[in-house]
Amino acid sequence: MAIEPLHARYPFLGAARRAVDEAGVDLAQVVASEEAVVERGLERVETAVAEREVGDPHRRTRVELLSYPVARVLVSLVDERVLTRACARAEAATAHERFTEEFATTAEYKSTASGRLTLADLLAEFDLTAAVRETPDGYRVEVGAYLDLAADQWGDEWRLVNRALADGEVRVGDDELLELLRQAVRHRVEEGLPLSVPDPVATELDDEVDRIRETLAELELTREIDTVVPELFPPCMKHLLDRVQKGDHLEHHSRFAIASFLTSIGMTTDDIVDLFEVNPGFGEEATRYQVDHIRGKTSPTEYSPPSCATMQSYGDCVNMDDICEDVIDQSHPLNYYEHRLDESDEDDLVDWRESEDAGA
Amino acid sequence: MHEQTRAYLRGRFGDYYRRTGLSPPPDASEREWGYVPWTEGPGETMVRHRSLLDLGELGEFLARERPKHVYFSAGRYDDPGASTMSGKGWRSSDLVFDLDADHLPSVVLGEDSYATMLAKCKDALERLLDFLDDDFGFEDLTVVFSGGRGYHVHVRDETVRGLDSDARREVVDYVRGIGLEFDHLVDEETVDGEAGRVSPATNRYLPAEGGWGARVHERLLELAEAVREQDEETAIETLSAYDDIGERRARAMYNIAGDRFEEIERGNISAHTAFEQVAEQVAAVTVAEENAPIDEPVTTDTNRLIRLPGSLHGGSGLAVVRIERADLDAFDPLVDAVPETFVGHDIAVDVTDPGAVELNGEAFDLDEGVQQLPEYLGVFLMARGRAEKAQE
Ligand code: SF4
Repeated sequence: MAIEPLHARYPFLGAARRAVDEAGVDLAQVVASEEAVVERGLERVETAVAEREVGDPHRRTRVELLSYPVARVLVSLVDERVLTRACARAEAATAHERFTEEFATTAEYKSTASGRLTLADLLAEFDLTAAVRETPDGYRVEVGAYLDLAADQWGDEWRLVNRALADGEVRVGDDELLELLRQAVRHRVEEGLPLSVPDPVATELDDEVDRIRETLAELELTREIDTVVPELFPPCMKHLLDRVQKGDHLEHHSRFAIASFLTSIGMTTDDIVDLFEVNPGFGEEATRYQVDHIRGKTSPTEYSPPSCATMQSYGDCVNMDDICEDVIDQSHPLNYYEHRLDESDEDDLVDWRESEDAGA
Repeated sequence: MHEQTRAYLRGRFGDYYRRTGLSPPPDASEREWGYVPWTEGPGETMVRHRSLLDLGELGEFLARERPKHVYFSAGRYDDPGASTMSGKGWRSSDLVFDLDADHLPSVVLGEDSYATMLAKCKDALERLLDFLDDDFGFEDLTVVFSGGRGYHVHVRDETVRGLDSDARREVVDYVRGIGLEFDHLVDEETVDGEAGRVSPATNRYLPAEGGWGARVHERLLELAEAVREQDEETAIETLSAYDDIGERRARAMYNIAGDRFEEIERGNISAHTAFEQVAEQVAAVTVAEENAPIDEPVTTDTNRLIRLPGSLHGGSGLAVVRIERADLDAFDPLVDAVPETFVGHDIAVDVTDPGAVELNGEAFDLDEGVQQLPEYLGVFLMARGRAEKAQE
C-alpha cells in the first residue's frame, strides 16, 4: 500500500498506519535524518496546545503523515496528562473539520472517487457500522456505543437523561453524529499513550521535548491544586465536612462528593481519614475503604468530583453564595475553590496538612 | 450472637447448601469471588480476591465452608484471584442495579414494616425494569431478590459490558432522572411562515418516541384528555392548580385542548405559552414519580461484588432468589425466599427482641423468652439478631 494523501489527512486511520509499516519506515532513522518530519511533529504538538488544532498540513504527503507518529512519540516523552489530552483533542478537532467538509462535498457530487473518505468508511474504522443506523430524521445510535462516545462530551444536551432513548437506540442529528465521531478519533489518538520510546529515538528528540515542556510551563497547564485550606472550600463541601466531623451519617452520594473533592485537591487517604476522624463513631475502616475506592486504588477508574448540577440534583448544594452564582456560574465546586485560592495571598494560606490539627 | 447460635446457623446453612443445587453466573471462572465467614464478634471480615480455582467446585465449597455471605464480582478478569485490582486485568463487567429499601425516598425507616419496605422496593423495581426493557432495550436481564432489603438486576448484554464508570454513571442518572433539563427534552422544528406572515415560526415538540420526553408527553396528554372531558369551570380549576397559571391562561389551554387536541397528541407544546409552563411542571412530577432510586455506587463500580443468587443471606436467613420474569408479579419475598430446608419443623429459640413478624405467609406476634418456633422463623430471628438458639 502506497502512502496516499488520504493517509496524511487522517493519519489515525488503520490504513495510514499500515501504509507507514509497509513503506518500511524506521522511526529512529526518520527522527535522526528527516528534519522536516520532526519539525512538523513538533508543530502538531505546539499548535495543539496553543490553538486546539494541529496546524496546516505540510505540502509533502510523506512528511505530513510521518509527523503524526512523531507527535505521538513527543507526547509520550513529555508524558503529561494535560498534553496528551490537548493533542488528542486537537487531532480530533482537525479531523472533524476535514471530514465534515469532505462528507458535504461528497454528498454534493455523489462521487465515490477514490482517495475520499466516506461516512461509511469512518463508521467501519471505529467498528460502528452495526451500531449506527440512518433514519429519515437523522441517525439512531446503539446506546452502548453512544455512551462510549458521549460520556465525556460537554453540555447537558449530550446527557443520556435528556435524549430520546427508545429500544436501546439514541436519536442523534447529522451534526451530532459527526461530533460523536470526533470523540471516536480522540479516543483513537489517545489509545496506547504514552508509548514506550526506545532510547536512541528519545535522545534525538531531547530538544523538542524541552521546548514542549517550556511551552506547557508558560501556560501553567500542568498546575494542579495541591493545597488544603478548608476555610476556602465551597459552601457545599464545608457543609458536608461539617456533617462528617459531627458524625452524621451521610448518604452515599454525599460521602462520594466530599471524598472525591478532597482527593482532587491533593489529599491522600490518610489525610482524609485524619480530617474525618474527629468523631470516633466514624468507622476508620469504612472511610478508608471508601476513600481508597474513590481514589481508584481498588478500581481502575479515577472518580472526579460531581459538578454543581449533580450536587444540586442530589440536594448536596447548600448555602450557595455570590461566588457560586456570579463567579463560577454554578459550574463546579473545584472552580469555586480554585477561585478562592487565586484570590488569596499565597503567604497567608495555611495548608491544613501543615497545621497543628493534622494527624492529631 | 452467642456461640451456639452461630454454630447452629452455620450448620444449617451447610445443610441448605448440600441440598440445594446452585447455578453459578456465566463466566464464573473469570470472576472474583468473596465470602464472609461466621466469625466471633460484631465485625465482619470479607475474604476476597479468590478465583474459582482457589475455591474449588462451587457447590462443594459452599457445603464445606458454609459462609455467612457469598459474593461474586460484576467484573470479569484475566486473573480474578490476583490480590490487587490492577493485577487482575479487567476485561468487562455486568451492568448491575441495586434497589435497597434503605435508599428509597418512599420508605419511612422505623415505621414501615419489613413487608411494606419490600413491597415499595418492588414497585421501584417495576419502574427500573420499564427503563431497562423499553428505553434501553436490554435482553439479558437477571432479576434477583437480594435476601435482604431489596432487589438486584444484572444486565449482561454484550453492548454494555465494556462501559467504563463514567458511562455507567450516565445510565444511573438516566434511570434516576438526574440532570434532566426540560429545554433539552424538547425538539425544535421550524415551520414555514403562514400566509401573510413573514418570518417562519418555531414549533417545540416533546418527542413521543422515547426517553423522558415521551414520559412527560404521556402525562401531559393525560392531563389534556382529562381536561377535555371536564366542563369549563372544573377544567379551569384543574389547570389553575399549576404555578403561574391564572384563569385567563387556563381558559386558553382549555380551548386548545378542545379544538386543537391533535397538536397536543403530536407533542406540540407551542400552541400557547401556558402549555410549556405546565409541561415543565409536569416534567418535575414525572421525574419524581417515575424515577428508579437505585444505589449509584453499585452501578458505577465495575469491580463491585454482588451477592450470589441461590446463596443464603446471613443477615436474614433468606435465600437470594433469581426470579423468572414471568413469576415476578406473583413473587413474594417473604414467602418465596424462605428456604425449603428450614420449613416443616420447630426449634427452640430464646427471643430477645419480641414483636410482630410476617414470614412464609404467616403473621406472628412474638413474646420474649424461650419458645418453640418454626425453624424458618427461628433462623430469620437469629440471623437478624433478634433471638439466640436455646437448648432443645
Ligand atoms: S453552586 Fe456549586 S460550589 Fe456552590 S454550593 Fe452549590 S454545588 Fe457547591
